Amino acid sequence: MGKFILRRLLETIPVIFGVSVIVFGLIRFIPGDPAVTILGERATAESIAALRERLGLERPLVEQYVIWVGNMVRGDLGRTIRGNLVLSNEIASRFPATIELSLVSLFLATILGVPIGILSAVKRNSWFDTSSMFLALLGVSIPIFVLGLLLIFFFGVYLGWLPFVGRIASSVALERTTGLFLIDSVISGNFVAFQNVLSHLVLPSITLMTIPLAIIARITRSSMLEVLNQDYIRTARSKGLAERFVINKHALRNALLPIITVIGLQLGTLLSGAVLTETIYSWPGIGKWLYDAILGRDYPIIQTVTLMIACIYVFANLSVDLLYSIIDPRVRNNS
Amino acid sequence: MLKKFKLVVVLGVMAFLTAFATSAQDEVIFTFGDFGNPVKLDAAVVTDGISFRVLRQGCDTLFGFEPGTTQPVPSLATSATANEEGTVWTLGLREGITFHDGTAFNAESIVWNFNRWRLTTHPQHFAEETFEYYEAQFGGFDDASIITNVEASSEYEVTFTLSAPMGAFLNNLAMPMFSIASPAAVEANGVDYGSPSVGYVCTGPFTFVSWESDVETVLARNENYWGEIPGNIDRVVIKQIPDNASRLAALQAGTIDALEGPNVEDIPSIEAAEDLYVDFRPSFNVFYLAFNYRILEFRDPLVRKAFSLAIDRQEIVDAYFASAVAANTFNPPSIAIGFNDSIETPFNPEEAKALLAEAGYPDGISEVTVLKLDAEGNVTDEVETTIPVQLYFMPVVRPYNPDGEGIGEVMVSYLQEIGVNAELASGGDWATYLGQRSNGELLGLYQLGWTGDNGDPDNFIGYFFSAADSPLAREGFYQNEAVASLLQQARNLTDPAERDALYQEAESLIAENSDRIFIAHGRVPLAFNSSVSGYITSPMGDEAFALVSVNR
Repeated sequence: MGKFILRRLLETIPVIFGVSVIVFGLIRFIPGDPAVTILGERATAESIAALRERLGLERPLVEQYVIWVGNMVRGDLGRTIRGNLVLSNEIASRFPATIELSLVSLFLATILGVPIGILSAVKRNSWFDTSSMFLALLGVSIPIFVLGLLLIFFFGVYLGWLPFVGRIASSVALERTTGLFLIDSVISGNFVAFQNVLSHLVLPSITLMTIPLAIIARITRSSMLEVLNQDYIRTARSKGLAERFVINKHALRNALLPIITVIGLQLGTLLSGAVLTETIYSWPGIGKWLYDAILGRDYPIIQTVTLMIACIYVFANLSVDLLYSIIDPRVRNNS
Repeated sequence: MLKKFKLVVVLGVMAFLTAFATSAQDEVIFTFGDFGNPVKLDAAVVTDGISFRVLRQGCDTLFGFEPGTTQPVPSLATSATANEEGTVWTLGLREGITFHDGTAFNAESIVWNFNRWRLTTHPQHFAEETFEYYEAQFGGFDDASIITNVEASSEYEVTFTLSAPMGAFLNNLAMPMFSIASPAAVEANGVDYGSPSVGYVCTGPFTFVSWESDVETVLARNENYWGEIPGNIDRVVIKQIPDNASRLAALQAGTIDALEGPNVEDIPSIEAAEDLYVDFRPSFNVFYLAFNYRILEFRDPLVRKAFSLAIDRQEIVDAYFASAVAANTFNPPSIAIGFNDSIETPFNPEEAKALLAEAGYPDGISEVTVLKLDAEGNVTDEVETTIPVQLYFMPVVRPYNPDGEGIGEVMVSYLQEIGVNAELASGGDWATYLGQRSNGELLGLYQLGWTGDNGDPDNFIGYFFSAADSPLAREGFYQNEAVASLLQQARNLTDPAERDALYQEAESLIAENSDRIFIAHGRVPLAFNSSVSGYITSPMGDEAFALVSVNR
């Protein structure tokens, strides 16, 4: 098992290196100059040249890449182009917000999606199956900004039940340790803050979970259906085993691999795809920030944050692989 | 048992939902919904309106603007007198003022701030930062700066020496970019001055409390403020809510008290709501269609005039703007000097067709000729290629251009009406578009605009049409020496009446040649909860929350 983990960890190094090269190169090959974007309509040829010089953009690409990687290895993420702010501080204030929202959404999508998928498979072609799969289709199809705004206007404005701006009310104090507000409020024993953070999470996480929920439910259903048609399930049933036992012990465990894969992949999708949800709910995460950085060609933000997302994606996949080996020893033995 | 369980669940949910109702607070909080995050709270190094909205509340300038106008009035300065040539200005300063950090405000602090902006050798003129506005408004740094010396002639009097007279000197001093910061605070924090953990340290009516990136900036009433604070606000919260619809929802839900820039289509519903109201900023911008003079056909004034006659500006204003006036000139009507109200730019497609025929295009124009550039980047007489007539639309929304693509489509249809086979073209995203514009690469007609910074025409028409030495790629290789000469004369005069006449003459020359097609002067909408009063909209967006009261 140790060797397996080590080998998989080593395999991630070239992947992350490749991502860093691609991200660094791609952003520089698309048209648009950060100096021009910063200076805007007022830009003159002289001011653009002077700013490019100050930003180090006149240096050869390879030199710029080596400086960036060298600084990162030393723990210096650099500064943003706009505002010249310390990048690590800016990331630290935003990354936990996206992580928290993504994890809560994924948690909800999983605890709802997996049982719905199982029930749909077990009660195939029933009203439950038809209606849940229709809702799953709707979940994948409905644009996030439409759903988000509908929820805001109904629950936030019309009923006035739930907040829809930010992560916590200005009036609620919270000591910040991890940046994950739910955890911080638990650590500090601040129940008021916990409730407030939870209430702020309701609408954005419902909005963000719809697509993964639909995907997880559909994959679970199809995976379960495939397993339920296997001979060993028929054998188990013919032995007179209780249906609940057949489903939980024999069917679900064998159907889990594709479900875990899709859940792992959804984490990466959520992290990188939260732009719309974050914008609609004024959620101070990396999604909208990264989007604005791309429009403004703020290279340090784009490079570093994209690389971080890629790393999380890679490690989510690695975790899935490790889970495979726990669930199905054949994976470990074959490796 | 089941009933009891249900009751517990229902009570639990109700308790959860109602637990967040904020308790009544004694202090008066004004919450403004903004659409983005400040870049930095160091006024000297930023250019974005979001940063300036925050800075304006806590940082004073030597002169300010009379609320709602473009007229400079004394602020930290009490008086300003110039010598006869207009090259030496002496400013008297208010006495007994302290910065938010308790350090004293005096002439030395003015000298320190101006030297920081002006001299690249100053230890706080950080190499990593761009002091862009100083460079733009005062001609450059060090020897290039129009301000050649700043001196404390006494503890509360400061003298500026200029290399040439400057008509817009007091307007420049009133710009929020030239806010006076505490020298001690900038020296202590270095390049991190203005970052979220430090904020600003100035002399204004609100002190900096906190700034959480992408969440909110909080300011508190400065009880030691040197001037009067007419409003009743104790605390200002500027919340970042980037989505227009969500921002409006926040206003409707009572999460915020005011916002800038609701969607045009939402304005009727805001006006209809009992507890909300809308106000507009006086227009201080211009939306225009520029010609790229690398196109041979666009060098003919008859062709340009025909294009101008083909565009129905009023129809565009009525269809796309929440509030705007159709533009005949570059300078807007609200400008203090330099607006020429005698110029008219009618819509007349028949006359446009006749002008095209007179110019040698009786069958209209389907392709245009691109001229070659020489090694220095100047346009030559040699033909490089022919291309379709392209009209580039702006990919972003601005107060002067609410829908670049939509308006672009309409513009193309107007041109097609007079036989110009124009097509709509994309110049990429904003960064790409600006880059191409800067290099003169938008080969055709292109949309752009301008919002004035300081109320002076030198920062409006003067910025675009003053190139006398050679055509600027940035301005589509435009050059009109007569116009440039007038604008440069006006820049160096201090008598408003003389300057007014020169600017008006320049506008007449531009209109005569149809050098550009001016479309509209847009007015920015703001929406308020009815509990808010005293908010005076400013042409430059330079609004003081110190004037605002909230009575819930």
